[in-house]
Amino acid sequence: MKRSRFPFIVTGFVLVFFYLPILFLVVDSFNASRFGGAWRGFSFKWYERLFHEPAIWEAAKNTLFIAVVVTFLSLVLGTVSALALHRFAKSRLQRFHYTLIYTPLVVPEILMGISLLMAFVAAGVRLGMATIILAHVTFCVSYVALVVLGRLQDFDFTIIEAARDLGATGWQAARRVLLPMLAPGLAAAGLIAFTLSVDDFVITFFVAGPGSTTLPIRVYSMIKHGATPMINALSTLLLALTFTTVIVSQRLSKSGAMEGGQ
Amino acid sequence: MKLRMLLRFALGAAVIAAGFLTAGCGGGAKEQPALHVYTWSDYVKPELVARFESENNCKVVIDTFDSNEAMYAKLKAGATGYDVITPTSYMVSLMRSQDMLQPLDKTMIPSVTHVDADYLAVALDKGMEYSVPYMLTNTGIAYLKSKVDGFEPTWAMFERTDLKGRMVMLNDMRETIGAALKYLGYSLNSTNPEELAAAGAVVKKWKANLAKFENEQYKTGIASGEFLLVHGYSGDILQVQAENADIAFVMPREGGVLSCDDLVIAKSAKEVKLAHAYINFLHDPKVAAENTEFIQYLCPNKDAYPLLSEAIRLNPGIFLAPEIQAKCEVLADLGEKNALYVKIWDEIKAGK
Repeated sequence: MKRSRFPFIVTGFVLVFFYLPILFLVVDSFNASRFGGAWRGFSFKWYERLFHEPAIWEAAKNTLFIAVVVTFLSLVLGTVSALALHRFAKSRLQRFHYTLIYTPLVVPEILMGISLLMAFVAAGVRLGMATIILAHVTFCVSYVALVVLGRLQDFDFTIIEAARDLGATGWQAARRVLLPMLAPGLAAAGLIAFTLSVDDFVITFFVAGPGSTTLPIRVYSMIKHGATPMINALSTLLLALTFTTVIVSQRLSKSGAMEGGQ
Repeated sequence: MKLRMLLRFALGAAVIAAGFLTAGCGGGAKEQPALHVYTWSDYVKPELVARFESENNCKVVIDTFDSNEAMYAKLKAGATGYDVITPTSYMVSLMRSQDMLQPLDKTMIPSVTHVDADYLAVALDKGMEYSVPYMLTNTGIAYLKSKVDGFEPTWAMFERTDLKGRMVMLNDMRETIGAALKYLGYSLNSTNPEELAAAGAVVKKWKANLAKFENEQYKTGIASGEFLLVHGYSGDILQVQAENADIAFVMPREGGVLSCDDLVIAKSAKEVKLAHAYINFLHDPKVAAENTEFIQYLCPNKDAYPLLSEAIRLNPGIFLAPEIQAKCEVLADLGEKNALYVKIWDEIKAGK
């Protein structure tokens, strides 16, 4: 029987839609023209300009700092939350907990941004990095919890019991058995949290305070003067960084998978 | 119990992290006061900020917003911590009516005397009670010098059938109907139904010659020669001119839209004195001239004009002749009367 061509065509389209815009962006970052419409020769000038823009680097620094802290906090909170949800799945309290975890995924961002801002104002909290981190954790926790929960549902808890039988303390069992086996799920959840935090604009805009402008806020504001291909250059650098990280982490997890096993 | 252990560890870690955070961000009481400016990106020359900081022994922290409406929504919801803000004039009126601004103490801003009185005559806050104009731009006509014969600086250019299909006007009802109102000699902010109907008829006539109404692609279009004549924002056109020297920009002789971002002080500002000093500093003629050269928008400071370079003085995208500027107006927020424009604009867009 002949295999259907359909999946290939769909895959082809999906790949084109995903990667073609990125390709354009990368190519345009080397275009001497400001208006991407026409190719006016190869140039590094946007990269040069980028390195002379302290405001952009300041914003990038803020963004990365926030993302790292948010990833850590939401990983911890989200994992704990997933453990509770899984362990006590039948209790009414945990079912309520599940709803609470689920809600941020369906609440429109603008609503969340405004309501968080109003809550911070009412509580008299000074807006700044701390409020951005709190806001990001608020929605990142949900993603982490759900990803880890998915992982836990396939998890064989008899292994933990076996470890305890063989003399491991609760702490040892958690650290040496549970955590390593959850690691792929945690890595995926962490990447999601990191990405969400780095590119969030709407919520961040509302809860940001003086001195905590992040990269997305900065980039949107540049529209006033017509966003320059400097942004393309910056995105290209970020892409390069992301790809390197992914490739390196894949290499690492491959060698880890040999001994750790799944 | 392993889970309890894990829980204890996680909570401990969270508490430590939270403590670290608040210590890292909340603390750091410096003796140097900080002025917080909430503005558009790249909207002041960095060297000037550094100069202000050293002259006043303070720190200037700049944060950016991307639209007047987003900034308004945020402040309206209660966000504080910003001292000086630079909204567009119509937004200043709204913020003032919502009691979000402080009246300015002009004894602390002696350099307001340098502000261009010709501009103030058409400004919304003529007495500078709550705002001092900061940067002006305008909306005019750009065209390709080598391709458009017999160009005249008038909105009637859109009637030229020989340019049919190669012209673009802005997809913005206030700008485009405003151009027609000016062409007919009426006010940009007219709410007279008869004047508006007449302006609507003019735009319909122009529409027959236009390729489209459009706000973004016209830049690429005129740079590549696809369009010969476009209605556009001076700031945009200046960028395109850098790539295609054949493009010229003019404000039609009937006048058009001026747009101004103003310096205001938030009601909740903490560094009120410093905020006044900052506004005063930006209107020092030398500073204003230097800032204009950097931003490429015009700071309406008449004593700065003679200090501007030839390139700026002779560029109608930045510097308008006084007699033309006098005919221009600033778009005011019309509130409910906006509906009159919406109706006419819908008719224009729908009509074939």
